[in-house]
Amino acid sequence: MSNELIDFVIVSVALLGIGIYGLAVKRNAIRMLFSIEIIINAANLNLVAFGRFIPGSEGQTLALFSIGIAAAEVAVGLALIIVAYRMYKNIDIAEFRSLKG
Amino acid sequence: MIEITSTPVILIAILGTIGVALPIISISRKERGSSSFYGAITFGALLASIGYVVYQIFSENILPGAVFSEDVLVDDTFGSLFAIAMLIVAMMTTVGSFNYMRNKPHTAVYFSLILLSTIGMVLIAYSTDLIMLLIAWELMSIPTYVLAGFIKKDPMSNEAALKYFLFGALASAIIIYGISIVYGITGSTNIGEVIQGFAALDSDMMPLALLAVAMFIAGFGFKMGLVPFHMWLPDAYEGSPPTIATLLAAGTKKAGFAAAIRVIVMGTIALNLEWTFALGIIAVMTMTVGNVAAIMQKNLARMLAYSSIGHAGYILIGLSIAPFSSIGLQGSLFHILNHAVMKGAAFIAVAGIVSTLAIANIEKLKGLGRKMPITSLGLVISLLALAGVPPLNGFWSKLILFGAAIDAGPVAAWAPWLAIAGVLNSALSLAYYGWIIRKMYFEGETEKRVKEPKSIIAVMIFSIIFIVAIGVYPDPIIQFTESAVPSLSMAISP
Repeated sequence: MSNELIDFVIVSVALLGIGIYGLAVKRNAIRMLFSIEIIINAANLNLVAFGRFIPGSEGQTLALFSIGIAAAEVAVGLALIIVAYRMYKNIDIAEFRSLKG
Repeated sequence: MIEITSTPVILIAILGTIGVALPIISISRKERGSSSFYGAITFGALLASIGYVVYQIFSENILPGAVFSEDVLVDDTFGSLFAIAMLIVAMMTTVGSFNYMRNKPHTAVYFSLILLSTIGMVLIAYSTDLIMLLIAWELMSIPTYVLAGFIKKDPMSNEAALKYFLFGALASAIIIYGISIVYGITGSTNIGEVIQGFAALDSDMMPLALLAVAMFIAGFGFKMGLVPFHMWLPDAYEGSPPTIATLLAAGTKKAGFAAAIRVIVMGTIALNLEWTFALGIIAVMTMTVGNVAAIMQKNLARMLAYSSIGHAGYILIGLSIAPFSSIGLQGSLFHILNHAVMKGAAFIAVAGIVSTLAIANIEKLKGLGRKMPITSLGLVISLLALAGVPPLNGFWSKLILFGAAIDAGPVAAWAPWLAIAGVLNSALSLAYYGWIIRKMYFEGETEKRVKEPKSIIAVMIFSIIFIVAIGVYPDPIIQFTESAVPSLSMAISP
């Protein structure tokens, strides 16, 4: 059994690494948003995998809540990105330079 | 099972109902753009909530300190203290927005989002379960992303909102990952059980526990503006509407501290480590970077943003010496309450200056003391209180914080250095606050008085009374913060 758990955790850590790599390297707002989504999904995978081995339903509950929250966050984030695109014709956050100091 | 009349449940009922009802009312009403109507409803809801919190405190229906509970929410003094601070900030934001939002579209949505964000902040302070904490955290964050970009036609507001959103979403992702690790190693999401699980942890699980605590520090630290995670903060505070900067600087930042005290401080104590030393290093870095960068700023809102980074450092002193003295945490709680009002007043003054004179540059503040006397007086009093000048309220909380750090010297040799760094930084901050005050009062020609917005005057008068009254007679608030300090013995031996 524990072998199976470690498989899930390895995949989850790999996803976390991919997400952090994406955030560190990419400057496109949508790519960064997707990297954040990958981190959240890594956490969800962790939660569901742990929930399989721990009595009680907290893991699955939290995973469901976190999926819902992530959806709300993406809705707000994409709206902000669309508004920024209409203004700048660009979604590269390195190009947004009106705030500096 | 939590009672139906307990404070968090009633607050959700009042603020949630009004917050959801406002946009519905705005659809059915014919006339658009009357900000004061929706603002008045919002203000009424917040006033009723703060009244209920104070009533519960005086009728002694609430539990003392910060307790662990089987439920997801608990009605204790710690939560009530934060609820009072958040609700005062939300009221200042609402009243300050009366004038700022005049003749702007979607005022009902604006006030509704303020209310929803306020529920999130309040619930963070009351929550005793990581699931509840996460949901309250998102309920606080998501409305503020929209509010930061509320002026859709303004490029600065857009940019601020996008940067704030990306870092805020990353912070929540990291928090969710931290919670998943904590759940995996302790098998529970209840904060009390998690801390007991931490205290009885196998030594081979220790690195995972450390990783989880580090993720919580990073995630909450993004909102608190601790130094390695502060890069978004000046941009977001400068670009977003100044009334929303009030909510961010004085509200969401304090909610981050509420979560940090509930989770990180207890967790580090349960792990029985020299972890608090790391918090001490972050505290010194935070206050130094904030204050040094603030000197170089030309924009008033941006300078206040850096100064609020500096103040996060002062508050963190109390968290880092928490295992050695409960006075430190008391000072932190007191400074959180004070900083909410001081920084709120300063940002609302900026909102008044921006909306009447349309200037944000410090160089152009010449003669403001004669143009807008009451706003200037409020700004000066709040700046002096931020610098910690006696007899204003900021002096007492800094005195308690630095005094506790020096008293902790025999137990932890590094603690007095925190106090020394704090005093030096306060002196430094007085330099740039003094520069603004000199611009406002001692430079410029004799200029005509401008008509000041009534709502800004109301906020200024309230803050001046609050700051001076607590500065002159701090005893009741000090006693209240003392009763709100979490009892740390519970974390170690449950």
